[in-house]
Amino acid sequence: MSVNQALDTAPPAAPLKVRFGGLGTGLILAAVWIALIVATGLYRPDFFAQQTLLAVAFTMSIVGVLAIGQGIIGMSGGFIDLSQPAGLISASLVAVRLSEAGMPFPVVILGAILTGMLWGGFNALIIVFAKLNPVIVTLATNFIGLAALYLVFQLAQVPLNSDIYVFGRQSWLGLPAIFWPMLALVLIVGFLVPRTRYGRRMIAVGGNRAAAKARGISLRATRFATFIIAGGFVGFAAVLFAGTAGPFNPSSANTLQLNIIAGVILAGISLSGGRGNFWMLLLSIGFLSTIPTSLVFFGLSSDTQSIFQGIILIIAVSIDGYRALRRTP
Amino acid sequence: MHTMKRAIAVMALATPAVLGFVGIAEAQDKFKLGMAVGGNTCCEWMKAQGDVARAIAEQNGWDYVELSNNNDPATALKNAQIFVQEGVDAVIQFNGQPSSNPAISAVMKQANIPIVTYDIADPGMYFVGIDNLGAGIAGGEALGKIIKEKWNCEPDLVISSEGAGAGIVNEWRTGGMRTGVKNICPDIPAEKYVSFEGSGDAAVALQPARDLLAANPNAVKMAVVGINDGGVLGLINAAEQLGRADEVIGWGQDGAFITGDNVNPHLVGSVFYFLEGYAVYAVRDVIKPVADGNTPPLKADAGDPASKVQPCPVTAEQAKSVPDMPERVAQLLAAPAGTTAYDLFCPNKG
Repeated sequence: MSVNQALDTAPPAAPLKVRFGGLGTGLILAAVWIALIVATGLYRPDFFAQQTLLAVAFTMSIVGVLAIGQGIIGMSGGFIDLSQPAGLISASLVAVRLSEAGMPFPVVILGAILTGMLWGGFNALIIVFAKLNPVIVTLATNFIGLAALYLVFQLAQVPLNSDIYVFGRQSWLGLPAIFWPMLALVLIVGFLVPRTRYGRRMIAVGGNRAAAKARGISLRATRFATFIIAGGFVGFAAVLFAGTAGPFNPSSANTLQLNIIAGVILAGISLSGGRGNFWMLLLSIGFLSTIPTSLVFFGLSSDTQSIFQGIILIIAVSIDGYRALRRTP
Repeated sequence: MHTMKRAIAVMALATPAVLGFVGIAEAQDKFKLGMAVGGNTCCEWMKAQGDVARAIAEQNGWDYVELSNNNDPATALKNAQIFVQEGVDAVIQFNGQPSSNPAISAVMKQANIPIVTYDIADPGMYFVGIDNLGAGIAGGEALGKIIKEKWNCEPDLVISSEGAGAGIVNEWRTGGMRTGVKNICPDIPAEKYVSFEGSGDAAVALQPARDLLAANPNAVKMAVVGINDGGVLGLINAAEQLGRADEVIGWGQDGAFITGDNVNPHLVGSVFYFLEGYAVYAVRDVIKPVADGNTPPLKADAGDPASKVQPCPVTAEQAKSVPDMPERVAQLLAAPAGTTAYDLFCPNKG
């Protein structure tokens, strides 16, 4: 049996961590989230209403799909993709243009996903072949992308009553229609990553590059695939974004970034790679999406949410740093 | 023979130099207009303001230098210094972050360059713009009449989509709209007026708007005002997503989303400023006289402006006759010099 075959058939230690290591994180997150919900409900009993559920679920949906992409980048050791806003708006613009052209909804979805993957491929080309720091590269490509988008359009919105517009306003089983694909994707990715050849390679590369290389894993190919797949999630998030946002401009997605990164870190997905459980994203993104709604129920202005999000991000990064320190021999 | 060769060589060398001097002299004689656009990506009219100013400068045979303030006060100040270095003869600016306006005024005064500012007054700058408070009140009164007719002045909520980043302009427009509603429906209790920060961007406003609606689950008659159409649309879209769109009517400001085929039916009206066409006023009343050597007296007060832009409140029905912005820009530039967008497009001008 070759080294590669052994790697592909027998899950090593890292994937086991991925599968079971998030239990403590999950319990803490669930407890904090429930405490927030109970506290808000005690203060304002009308918090326990379907309107609240809808509001929180809408907020979770787009952030959740983007967080999958961000999580994949983080888990593979790519740290953070700071170019998600530009990728999202590019793919959203494609979705708008295809809708305006009267294309069927599946074509709109496919067009947006391919655009996202192209964007991911563009990042990967620079990162992999120029061997540059992904954070710096994606920061730069985000600037480039937004500036280029600003030259192309000022405002865009999907046509009223188009399929994508209707999809963005529908509810299924009491929750927004856009929530269900996010839920399905988180569950599927969380299931597949520790159980597939690519998933295990991604984790191996993120966990220990030298060891992964010694096992014969192509770092370049894995990193390249990671950025393209993550771009695909950005493209799908763009479908949800274009369907719900109404008129948007090149800067409209900038405010999402903080929540996505905080969600990934809170979920226990290590930005330095090799560790994490995608299912925990449901708890972290759910918790972060409930905070602004709770604040409004407590009578606080919605703009105070940035203060709380900032504090939570600092706490989350500290926890991530502490975890990394503990793992260092 | 040798002398003749030398003469030809001297002439050949001298010709470009002479042509260069002539060119420089011409360039020095040519009036040069500097334009600092707002540079906030929220709004397509900011770019259009530059496009119109450039076209008018070209029509007048002037040189034109355009910079973007990037919606940043420090950049706006740096741009003023660049204009001085560039040797412009006059400047037009829209500075959405007016904290640097006093410093910009000082730079321009020292260089003896007249400067026009749009919509946000400064004591050292010619004021060209709209009476934002008046426009806000006009829009609020128009919405108040609908509230009176539809709900007998008894709405459950009057929601303000604020854009705090715009500072005093937000207070004038959004606060002005609340004042306008109160003028028509004075007995709406204070607790019925609620606000959220929408940043003047429909996509950004969406989530706080959903949260506000969720926190007011029993409100069924809701009127929305805001700093601009985008902010108001954010709440309307949120209401659609929560299945409550039939309970909302909105009246915006700036007319950005009330023209074309894609108008949300719950946006019942807006106030056109025709922001893209401000350069017509600025050039007609300030820049052209400066270029002709007749610099007008400084009028820096919004109450007594160098040039006053008329607001144009319209219902969604009336707005159907107004072309969208690219078409308006095209028609404006094709019109005789000095013709304003208000003259061309306002469907209910006095």
